[in-house]
Parts: sequence; C-alpha cells; structure tokens
Amino acid sequence: MFDMVSRRGFVSLSAAAGLGLAGCSGKKTSEPAGSDAGSAKSFSKKKAVELQVFAANSLEKALPEVQELYTDQTGTTFADTQFKASGDLVEQMRAGAAVDVLITASKGTMDDAEAAELVDADTREDMFVNDLVIIRAEGSDTKVEAIADVANLDGKIAIGDAKTVPAGKYANQALASVGLYTGTEGDDGEYAPEIAEKVALADKVGTAAAYVSTGDCVAGFVYSSDIFRYDGIEEAFVCPEDSHKPIVYPGAVAESSEHADEAKAFIDFCLSNRKAQKIWAKYGFELSA
Amino acid sequence: MLNRFRILVACALTFALCWVPGFAFAGDAEDGAQVAATAHGLSYGIEGFERLAKGTARAMEGQPEGYRFPVDEDVDLVVAPAADRVVVWISPKAIERYGLDPQNNECVSGLKALVCELDSANCMGGAQLGDVDLPWYVTAETTFDAGGYTYGFDERGADGGRYVVIASASGDAKGGARWLDSAQMVEASSVVLRDEQGPLTSLASLLGGIDYRPFWVSIKTSGLALLISFALGLFAAWKTMGTSSRIKGLLDSVFTIPMVLPPTVCGFLLLMLFGRSTGVGQWLIAHGVSIVFTWPAAVISAVVVSFPLVYRTALGAFESLDTQMLDAARTLGWSERRIFTKLMMPLGWPSIAAGTVLAFARAMGEFGCTLFFAGNYAGITQTIPIAIYFEWMGGNTSVALFWVVVVIAFSFLVILFINMYTAHSQKYRERGLSRAERKQAKDLAGQGDSLDPAGGDALRIDREALAELMRDEPAMQGGR
Repeated sequence: MFDMVSRRGFVSLSAAAGLGLAGCSGKKTSEPAGSDAGSAKSFSKKKAVELQVFAANSLEKALPEVQELYTDQTGTTFADTQFKASGDLVEQMRAGAAVDVLITASKGTMDDAEAAELVDADTREDMFVNDLVIIRAEGSDTKVEAIADVANLDGKIAIGDAKTVPAGKYANQALASVGLYTGTEGDDGEYAPEIAEKVALADKVGTAAAYVSTGDCVAGFVYSSDIFRYDGIEEAFVCPEDSHKPIVYPGAVAESSEHADEAKAFIDFCLSNRKAQKIWAKYGFELSA
Repeated sequence: MLNRFRILVACALTFALCWVPGFAFAGDAEDGAQVAATAHGLSYGIEGFERLAKGTARAMEGQPEGYRFPVDEDVDLVVAPAADRVVVWISPKAIERYGLDPQNNECVSGLKALVCELDSANCMGGAQLGDVDLPWYVTAETTFDAGGYTYGFDERGADGGRYVVIASASGDAKGGARWLDSAQMVEASSVVLRDEQGPLTSLASLLGGIDYRPFWVSIKTSGLALLISFALGLFAAWKTMGTSSRIKGLLDSVFTIPMVLPPTVCGFLLLMLFGRSTGVGQWLIAHGVSIVFTWPAAVISAVVVSFPLVYRTALGAFESLDTQMLDAARTLGWSERRIFTKLMMPLGWPSIAAGTVLAFARAMGEFGCTLFFAGNYAGITQTIPIAIYFEWMGGNTSVALFWVVVVIAFSFLVILFINMYTAHSQKYRERGLSRAERKQAKDLAGQGDSLDPAGGDALRIDREALAELMRDEPAMQGGR
C-alpha cells in the first residue's frame, strides 16, 4: 500500500516536473536567471543599499566587525562578503561576479584589477599595512631566529601559493633575501633544494595558518594579523621589513558597482572612523599612513 | 507529496541525531578573551582590558598626528611594550586611591603579574608581555620620555577622543609600542569576573552561534536539482532507449560524462560557458542570462552532477524490461506515454528509486562544480560541503565538525532508507514468487510429473516457453 502510494506520488511528481520543464524547455537556464536578476534589481530599489565586498582573506575576522558597525550607523547592509586569496577575487570579478568594493592584499593584484578595468582607478586608496611573520603552533618548541632558520626545521613549511596568494609572494621574496628562493619578485623562481621538499603550498593565507595550527606544518609564512584571527598559532619570528616589498592593502570601488557612492563612503568610513580604527588595531591591521 | 514528507522526516532526524554526538566537540568552543582580573593581596582589580595590536600614523581628520592608539576615556592604566623596556602609565587618580608608588618595585610587581596574566589571555597568539623579562618604567605623568620615544598618554583629538601618541626624533615611532594594553583599575571587591563556561553552556553557545543557512541552502538546492534531474534523466533514458544504436552510443556518452569527469571540470566548463571571460558568456550576459555566482548556478551544478545517476539507473531499468511485453502493449494500442507511465515506470521503479536517492545524495555532496560556478555566498550558494571547507579554513573547526556530523548522520539515513526500501521491495517480490511457485508445484503434482519441483526453474521456463509457442502456433497458422 505504502509502496503504491509513494510510487504514484513520485510519478505525478515527475509528471509535474516534466510539464514545468516542457513549459520552458527552450530556455531552461535563462528563465531562473532572468527572474532572479529582475528581482534583485527591484529589491535594491525598494530597500536600503546592500554592498558586496570582495576582501583579501586575511580580513576575514576584522572586516565583518567593521561592517556590523557600519550597518548600525548607516543602515547600509552587506551581501555575504567574499574572503579569498586576492588573485582569486580578481579572477572571480573577471568571470562576472557582481562587486561594489574590492580590497586586496597587494599592489600587484589591485594593478591587475585596474588593468582589466574591473575597478575605478580614481577611487583606489592604500588602506592597511601589515607585517610578514613566521608562525608556529601554540606552545611548540620550534625556534626561528632568522628567515634562513626555516631550512633547518624538521617538518613542512606552509607558504601561500604565490600565483594567487600575495602572502606567498611576500614570503618568497623574504626567502629570496636569504637565498632560499631563486626569483626576486616572489613568483618567478624556484625554491632552493634544501627547502623545496618541505614547502606545502596553501590556496590562501588562512589555509597556511590552518596548516600550522593543525600541526600539519611546523612553521608557516603569514601576516602578523593572521595570528590574531586563528587559534592555536603564535608568532615565532617577524620578518624584517627590508626582506620583502612593503605589504600594502589597496581598496577600490568596482567599475561595475551600481552603488559607487555608497561603496566609496564605506571605504572612507573604514579609514576614518575611530571605532573602526580600534577594530583594525585589535586584529593587527595598521592603517596605512 | 509523500516523497517530500520523507525528505522532511530525514531532515528532522538529521537534526535530532547531530545533537547527541555534538557533545564531543564541546571543548573546542572558543573561550572569550578575559577582560577582568583580581589578585590576592591587592586592593584593586583590572577591568575593561583591551589590547591593540597595532596603532596607526595615518593622517585623519579630528585625530592628533603621530603614531597613535585610540583608547577609552576612563583608562587608568596604559602599557606600551618597546623592544627593550615596558613603559607603563597609571592615572594619578588610581595612584592616589590605591596607594601605589610608581618607584616602589614591591608595589608594581603585583600589578605586573596581573597585567601579564591579562595580556597573555588577550594576546590571541601574538607576542606576550611575559615572554621576556624587560624592565618596567612606571609613570603617572601624561608625557614621558624613554628610549628615544616620547609618549603622550592623554592626547586629545579634535573629535574629543583620547589617544596614546608616540613620537620619535628618528621618525619611526612604531618601535615605541609594539602593541598597547589599556584598562581601568577598580576596587578589588567590585570586579566582576566572568564565569568559567561549562561544557554544556559552551555547547549551547556554539550551537546558538552556528549559521544554519547552509542546511537550508543544501536542501533547497539539491531538492530542486533532484526534481529537474529526475524529470530530465527519465526523459533522456526513455528517449535514448528508442534511438538507433549509433546515436544511442553518442547520447549515452554525452549524458554519462558528467559522472566520469571531475566536478571541477564541469564547473570550469560552466564558468566558461556563462562567465564574462568568453564570447559565449558575454553574449549570454548581454541577453540577460547572468547566472554565474547566483543560486541558479548552484542548482545547475547540482543538476549536472546528479543527472547521470538518474539517467543511468533509469536506462538500466528500462533496458532490462522485456521488450516483447512493451511490443505487446503497443499491439494493444497503448500510446508510448501510457506505456511509459503504466508499464516502464512501475516495473523499473525499484532501480529508479535507488538511483534517485543516490542522485539526491550526490547533489547534497556537490562541492567542486558549485564552488567553481556558484562561489561561496553564505545563505545563497553556500551548501554544507562548502561551509565545511570554509569554516575549517576560517579557523572555526568546531563549526566544521558540526556540519561533518550532520552530513554523516544524513548519509546514514540515506543508506538506511535505500536498504529498507530494497528489503521491502524484494520481500514483495519473494512473496509473489513463492506463491507462484506453490501454485506451480501444485500443478506439477497434479500432472504427476516426476521431476523435483524445487529444482524446477529450468523446467518452468521450458514449460512456459512451450506453452507460449503452442499458443503462438495456432494463431500464426490461423493468420495464414
């Protein structure tokens, strides 16, 4: 009996699905997309502005707090902010993702976005500076007193993949400064044989931090701000500022933004509000001078 | 309707199940940073402890110039660790009230221990005050010089806010405070210490803090995807069956290939097809088809990977049907649609149902294609598998673990469902067979056949075939 009922239910279900499908078989994919885009537009007109922010992965903990503050003060809301490797964010924009504000972790990635006309160059502003540090698992006895010491570590070293992760590029520059990497740019060379086997590449800087906190790697190159957003890792060594290019986070309004003024206002808020400044400071982001 | 009910029951059970093993990771819940402390023998305690990891030298309207940290209006204690010393400011008010003497080591050591404890609790992995034993320079003056840096502990901006500003003759003031701690000092008796969280409360706060939207996104996405791939899969299998063998081979490969290809390849191709980076995609976007990184993209990804499962099982089921029976139905004047709904569907149902459940599970588990094509937007395209990856990546291991438990529980339910269903349908079949066997055995006994009825499979088939032949022959003869 049960069997019969469910069978009939399923058949009618499939018939209904079939009918619905037949109705729009010609443009099966365009149908939901069209209606979705339409509703999204009317939605934004009716309600307060919703900004879509694409931000460097390292901002994952700090930025949401600042966004909450901004929403409290202005009513402007935010769509789910994307925190990925800066290179991935630019690729995602290239693929057609809707964006209002882009914040990357290196000048190079923002230059790419600017060259591809994804962001409005006039709105570009340096937002934060950061330090490159070598981390270890909390309480581990890994000793690093110079960059070159990583070659003597017994275990893997987590480094962001320099192709998309700016932190990886800075790490490679730091390694190059002690002869453990062949290129000077950070993404144009090879690891020296003594560490080549030990390097574990991560798809974003957060992954490198996660590798170290789970114990899969004994050390990793991340930003000093990453220490504050992950449990289970601590600073082992701060790479000297002259060992790599300055770590600067530029921000800009996306060319395709429909709320360019609101997007610009948000960037300004991040850089001038006292409470926001405290949040950045707590998570180790120094506002760029 | 009933199917939807089953899905709902499955959801409810999943939720019920995941609460029980949830206790396992209670210990992982993040401890809130400690912001207050007291110590024995001290007349004061510390409240509102704040640690700022970085200051800024950015020129801002309303703020004083120089490397500065914003601090609360009523702080009594500021700790600025430099490379070779720690500069500490205590408000004159606090010095007077608690009878402190900045020059007295005894007095300061109690404070030092308290501050180090709080600093360590709030360092979040950064360097700690207690790491190295540096000399403490304690002052009550609002301006203080030490190690080439000038500290202004009570600087005011035009915005009225209070700042600790560090200046250096050499220009690089950052070295004056590698970070900055600030706090209020209050009577020891009035300090409110936060209770230690028990495992149950931390579990409750963990569960309360979880964003449950990935669950609904997963159910919604895979539910709709299942409807589409069920209909498309059956339709494709039905139509493929009727085509000539050469076209059939081609269609078969096209329909099956998403199952063989890595999902990331499907995602890449879809992104190329609909994204802005190719001509096709640009044309589609210009004509209003802009679905990359939207919910429809997540549904399409799930359809692409689940469709082959429905298609293959349905095709297998249809092909195993007796073609003569279908032909017989045609001779009776049944339309193809009626044959499909009244004959093929009911007969092939057990396989199709199993395939459908697998397709649903596959759609639920879809990761690579969705991530590529639909991205990771919480509440829109962030399904459970994507949530697991990104929560772990973001350091929220306990949340990732929660979703893992949910998925495992859900998978168990799916397997349980398949097993129960198979057992159910096979029991039905066994019962039917045994009844037929009994009847046949009786018939055989009546005919006085000497052969063993238990080993009578071959015999039965022979007899049936014979009977059919005999029935056919007179008809054919009659036809001629």
